[in-house]
Amino acid sequence: MKKPRIGVFKFTSCDGCQLTILNMEEEFLELLAFFDIGYFREAADKPLRGQFDIALVEGSITTDLQRKEIIDIRERSRYLITIGACATSGGLQALRNWASIIDFKKNVYPSPAFIETFSTSAPISEYVYPNYELWGCPIDKPSLIEVLTSYLINKKPGLPRYSLCIECKGRGIPCLLISKAAPCLGPITMAGCGVICPSLDRPCYGCFGPREDANIESLGRQFEKIGINKKEFAQLLDKMNTYAFRKAKTEQGRAAQK
Amino acid sequence: MRKIIKTDYLSRVEGEGGIYVEIKDSKIVKLQLNIFEAPRFFESFLVGRHYNDAPDFTARICGICPVAYLMSSVHAIEKIFDAKIDEPIRQLRRLLYASEWLSSHALHVYLLHGPDFYGIESAWADKNYIEIAKRGLAFKNLGNRITSVIGGRSIHPVSVKIGGFYMAPDKKDLTGFLPELEKAFEDSLAGIKWASSIRFNVFETEMEYISLSHQCEYPMNEGKVISNKGIDLSMERFLDAVQEYQVSYSSSLHSGIKMGKTLSPYLTGPVARVNLNHDRLPEEILEVIKESGVKLPIKNLQMSIIARSIEISYAIYELLRTIKNYEKPEKPYAEFELRSGKAAWITEAPRGMLIHAYDLDEKGCIKKCTIIPPTSQNLFHIERSVYEFVQSNIAKPADYLKSECEKIIRSYDPCISCSTHVVRV
Repeated sequence: MKKPRIGVFKFTSCDGCQLTILNMEEEFLELLAFFDIGYFREAADKPLRGQFDIALVEGSITTDLQRKEIIDIRERSRYLITIGACATSGGLQALRNWASIIDFKKNVYPSPAFIETFSTSAPISEYVYPNYELWGCPIDKPSLIEVLTSYLINKKPGLPRYSLCIECKGRGIPCLLISKAAPCLGPITMAGCGVICPSLDRPCYGCFGPREDANIESLGRQFEKIGINKKEFAQLLDKMNTYAFRKAKTEQGRAAQK
Repeated sequence: MRKIIKTDYLSRVEGEGGIYVEIKDSKIVKLQLNIFEAPRFFESFLVGRHYNDAPDFTARICGICPVAYLMSSVHAIEKIFDAKIDEPIRQLRRLLYASEWLSSHALHVYLLHGPDFYGIESAWADKNYIEIAKRGLAFKNLGNRITSVIGGRSIHPVSVKIGGFYMAPDKKDLTGFLPELEKAFEDSLAGIKWASSIRFNVFETEMEYISLSHQCEYPMNEGKVISNKGIDLSMERFLDAVQEYQVSYSSSLHSGIKMGKTLSPYLTGPVARVNLNHDRLPEEILEVIKESGVKLPIKNLQMSIIARSIEISYAIYELLRTIKNYEKPEKPYAEFELRSGKAAWITEAPRGMLIHAYDLDEKGCIKKCTIIPPTSQNLFHIERSVYEFVQSNIAKPADYLKSECEKIIRSYDPCISCSTHVVRV
């Protein structure tokens, strides 16, 4: 059987999620036994040619050139998988979606006119259809391996969509929200990171984005009881998955009106 | 006669950039290092945010060296608060930083830069090279695992906060690495010998190299700023001596040292550090450097692979030392009082000096911030090197010049993602 051909692509991002591929280290060499890496600019000097069985896409879309490129990548690829918070929900850069981009450019560059960029940082799904979305800032290595192996044996990846609390309870970690009155986003955040923050005595800060049917309003009320006001709560949500959390909150509000 | 050297997308570098050189009648008429990595606006996002967001946000500038961003930001903010950091926390920070130096340098030396000297497109394109790459993968894996024990994960670690750590690891979680580190140290000495045995093109440039310098340590988190041409400044004064400027073909600001009315390029990173601080390296490493016939200071930038290999050894040496001496801090972080103020701090990221400056109000909210990553500082120097190389080899065919220019750029280990977001406020 011919080895499936993988392409790795980057848009507006920090390189961290594609680094996860190289961070497989010894497993990376095994990966090469099952897949053909057709394009991976960060690690290989190889021109972009032909079709891909799997496109792994990092980063959000913030320029017109990127918009054209993602359409081209979609056309070349059977399966398009977004990797990480930027590609899946616009990333930290999506904070610009709620601000004036003109002010930002002036703040950063002496001659803002040279800088070509959209006023928004949007997830890949705003432009083309992704077959699968991997959440996380950064993505979790075992989850990436799960997705790639699932492709080989033609099954659906078995990744959680439930809240971080489920995993936290499973690990027997005392609840930071209840025992320490710490503003933990665990109840509304998707599991998948391996509960790293609560296990280091740090409240979850939402790297993996909102879980399905996240009750954001309710957590906000709970936070008020521990002295976190509405503005502070909003800032806690406005991080790497600001776009997805705001969207989930709006949808929740809309559902409540019905 | 007109000749064009053009690379749309540089490969085996982090981020997106290209190069364009136009030659007319044996003279360079245009030379641009095009950075078209989409601009990112980190400094703007941080305005109005709580100081605690600075490490988490700025770490997202770079997935390859997030620890560097965590370190520069916490030090700068602690300086504003005048927080007193105890020795065990200071040592744990050095341990964390060394683990990132190890994995970041191993990535560049063995996977990104190494293939250049074997004429292959990637580290896995040639069976014989894979054997060399395996040594690098093992270093990288070891560094990443140590970062993860302290930080929870290797990319965007979560345990660092202003004042110290959310939680410090138990000693037994670290001592388990000792046997592996001992072996890795031996391998890393072999790595220095391997890197020194590479045949480099003769291309030496006159340069000013700048790094931190510390009284008794090889510099990472602390020190003053020195150069081979007489710079000797505190971190804050150095920030005044540097000027950033914008060019139309780049979304990254460039920077240079003010020299009267003009700006002069300088080099930061492993070559600068090794050249200026090799007397702080342990005897075991210095001996191997000598045995391998490496002449210090390094003047040929392609030999940065040797400097990085030396620092891989040093990082492992420091990991061994700090783990052996590690004592879990009684409390993982220092207490401090909020106050308004400004401060700048520089730490040595794997790629060079990473400058952070913050201005906080009395509630601890960020009023302004400035971040100057190493690659922005090196861009001017990269352009100068490419210019000198092309000018002195102007008669050679365009294809040759193109691939050699790419190699020169790669030897700086540029992190273009990092460089694209700088601000001067």
